[in-house]
Amino acid sequence: MGLIFAFISLGLALIFGVMNIVNFAHGEFMMIGMYVALLISTYLPLDPLFSLPFAALVGFFLGIVSYRFLVQYILRGPMVAQLFGTFGLMLFLRYLFMLIFGPDVRSIKKGILVGKTLSLGWITLDVSKVVSAGLCLLLFAFVYWMINRTKLGRALKATSIDAEAARYMGIDTEKMNALAWGVGGATVGIAGGLLAHFYYITPTVGMLFILIAFAIVALGGFGSILGTFIAGLIIGLIQVIGGHYLSELKFTFVYIAYFLAVVLRPRGFFGW
Amino acid sequence: MLLEVKNLVKEFGGVVANADISFNLSEGEMVGLIGPNGAGKTTLFNCIAGYYKPTSGKVLFNGKEITGWPAHQTARAGIGRTFQIMKVTAGMTVLENVMVGAFCRADDRHLAKVEAAAILGFMGLDSLKTYHLNELPVASQKKVGLAMALATQPELLMLDEVASGLNPKETEEMVDLLKKIHRKKKITLFLIEHVMEVVMPISQRVIVLDGGEKIAEGLPKDIVKNERVIRAYLGDKYAKGI
Amino acid sequence: MWQVIKDIFSFRDYHRFERIGLLIFIVIILIFPLIVEQAYSRIVMIKFLLFALFGIGWNLIGGYGGQVDLGQAKNVGFGAYATALMMVWWNTPFWITVPIGMIIAAFESFGVAYPMFRLKGHYFAIATLCVALVWKELFIFWDWTGGARGVEIPVKATADFVHMQFPSNIYYHYFVFFLFITQLLFMNWFRKSKLGYQLQAVRDNEEAAASLGINVTWTKVKTYTITGGLGGVGGSFLAVYYLYIDPDLVMPLDLSILIAMTVLVGGAGSMWGPIIGAAILIPLDMYLGAWLALIGGRYGIDFMVYSLIIMIIAAREPKGIWGIIERVKGRG
Repeated sequence: MGLIFAFISLGLALIFGVMNIVNFAHGEFMMIGMYVALLISTYLPLDPLFSLPFAALVGFFLGIVSYRFLVQYILRGPMVAQLFGTFGLMLFLRYLFMLIFGPDVRSIKKGILVGKTLSLGWITLDVSKVVSAGLCLLLFAFVYWMINRTKLGRALKATSIDAEAARYMGIDTEKMNALAWGVGGATVGIAGGLLAHFYYITPTVGMLFILIAFAIVALGGFGSILGTFIAGLIIGLIQVIGGHYLSELKFTFVYIAYFLAVVLRPRGFFGW
Repeated sequence: MLLEVKNLVKEFGGVVANADISFNLSEGEMVGLIGPNGAGKTTLFNCIAGYYKPTSGKVLFNGKEITGWPAHQTARAGIGRTFQIMKVTAGMTVLENVMVGAFCRADDRHLAKVEAAAILGFMGLDSLKTYHLNELPVASQKKVGLAMALATQPELLMLDEVASGLNPKETEEMVDLLKKIHRKKKITLFLIEHVMEVVMPISQRVIVLDGGEKIAEGLPKDIVKNERVIRAYLGDKYAKGI
Repeated sequence: MWQVIKDIFSFRDYHRFERIGLLIFIVIILIFPLIVEQAYSRIVMIKFLLFALFGIGWNLIGGYGGQVDLGQAKNVGFGAYATALMMVWWNTPFWITVPIGMIIAAFESFGVAYPMFRLKGHYFAIATLCVALVWKELFIFWDWTGGARGVEIPVKATADFVHMQFPSNIYYHYFVFFLFITQLLFMNWFRKSKLGYQLQAVRDNEEAAASLGINVTWTKVKTYTITGGLGGVGGSFLAVYYLYIDPDLVMPLDLSILIAMTVLVGGAGSMWGPIIGAAILIPLDMYLGAWLALIGGRYGIDFMVYSLIIMIIAAREPKGIWGIIERVKGRG
């Protein structure tokens, strides 16, 4: 579970790292990813697993559109405006989907990964969770590689460290920003698609996950991929252990962890 | 002795921004702080005024140790400062901004208002009272910043490049203003400056920083002939020529 | 002393059109229940005044302080629970529960304020979110506060001014309006007080504020504490208005967000912002939303419209609708 959380947060960390803006609508992007998976698996004779690329595309598209039409403008304003700008987006998307699909909870019923379990000795694991985790690990590595080894990725990193300097070096910062949003959207879209295999789907699901994502990014440091990864694992662990003892409060522990994390270490453990 | 700085060191990570700096300021002096860009002048200001905590060394104000005191405490103790770049927002009017400074010493709004109006009058800024900062030209903004600091009734006023961005006429006005402040309000002035037209006529004494170290201290007319100073600004080629 | 009274009631430093507007507004509110008899309209009006009330309290830290707080619902919850529990356990008069609720909320706010204000901007906002959520979960978890079942206040048969329970909405209308005016006058005093000035200086430029002798963190803490107390008042009202409270009703995340958004849209940092914001959202929600739900069972369009407004305002005029009005006025 921790891996998935980490993956969700990856997109957020990226966006924040590049532009110092927190995307409240991140959770909603994920939610949309879930719905994409649902739609595709329901209406097309495709396994939900194959909906992932679509989810990624939709996420990517959403991210870029959001940037071009909204974020670009609110960046010019005070921080307050940025905050409630993405907040507005979050509400808008949430209620849009509530309008289209209604508030009922859905779930994906059939697919290669759905509902099967695996027994390893004394632990029973949900196959979809395991595969998702594995995929997340892979994609994490992929993104990490992309950021640190490819030219494009490094341009992105440069923009996040010092936008003006990057501009002087000929990097088109606007494109970089849009790209960050696009990739952020894509990653979380995939996360949504994966999550749809074993979690319930409803328009309000975004809220829960975004809080977890914030906790992770804060713990690991906004902008650091490695930090997000490790923090994701930690948070996942906290949730599972806490849930074991006091299941109603399992998310509360996460919130408390967040609070302690930011209070004790405002920059996260690995961020800048 | 108003201000004593003893062996001040400030490090950021591996970079030494201020290395073993010591000097004193007496009451009533006007002292300039110069040096090439990146010499550590603003860092020094920040260490004294409380925006940074010195890595080591001591700062004494009126004999009392204030090393590491936070900014609001040094302000209340009597050290005022202006900033090189003022973040300008449209929140409050000029008068209200100066009142905030006055509130440092007064608790009552009307007293603060009277005091603020008096300072603005002293500086010739009466006509700007109801404007918002972002509506003003740079020279006026700087003067307002000065007024705000003055409202806290400082004993020592530290000015960070108060003349930057001013045209020659405005610079002249600023010099006159600073002299007036020094004379009438009996405030010790300590200025970081790049504009020599301001530093030289005003300063009774000049301290020079380069690469984090203090490389010279003395009368303006001696500093301009100091080989190390010239080398710091212009490089070896020109220094040798003197 | 006389000066304080003058400060509370004097709106002289506002333009004439603002003062006239305020007067007209007050008059309309005062005569409203007498000329409008539809029950639903009265309910909408009460809700509007309530959210304006919430907004004024939030505006202190969110508007004049410039710190976006997304956890105000916890303070509402503290007030609501203080009132509800005290009435259920000890039949305490309403007006005694209010200060107690305020003190509890203020106390808690004070406690969390110091660590939270180490953070800035987005981080701070999220921290406030978390704190409010933790409290909500706790209230659900605890049995002694009623848990998820909530608290029900025994209904009184006739108008009761000691416990502030009334048979007709007319009473509640004037009741909440009274609370609203009280907080409005408090704001009027606050913005002219030393703390008010210092707070705005902090909002505008923290570094400069520090250079003028202002202890930035302490200023924020004080403000946040006061905001906490003010939020509690609205919560106490909720308790005796609905006569039933539970954690999802009085301290959900959505409420915190709603309060913040209302003020931001209306114009944070100005006196009229909360009023304008509530005046847009509440009727939108109650009329448009209800009508749409009725005809097609389609929820949420009202919120979609509202969030569109939010996004547009964020992009074009961060000072909210009041900011737009001021800009237009400036040109005209």
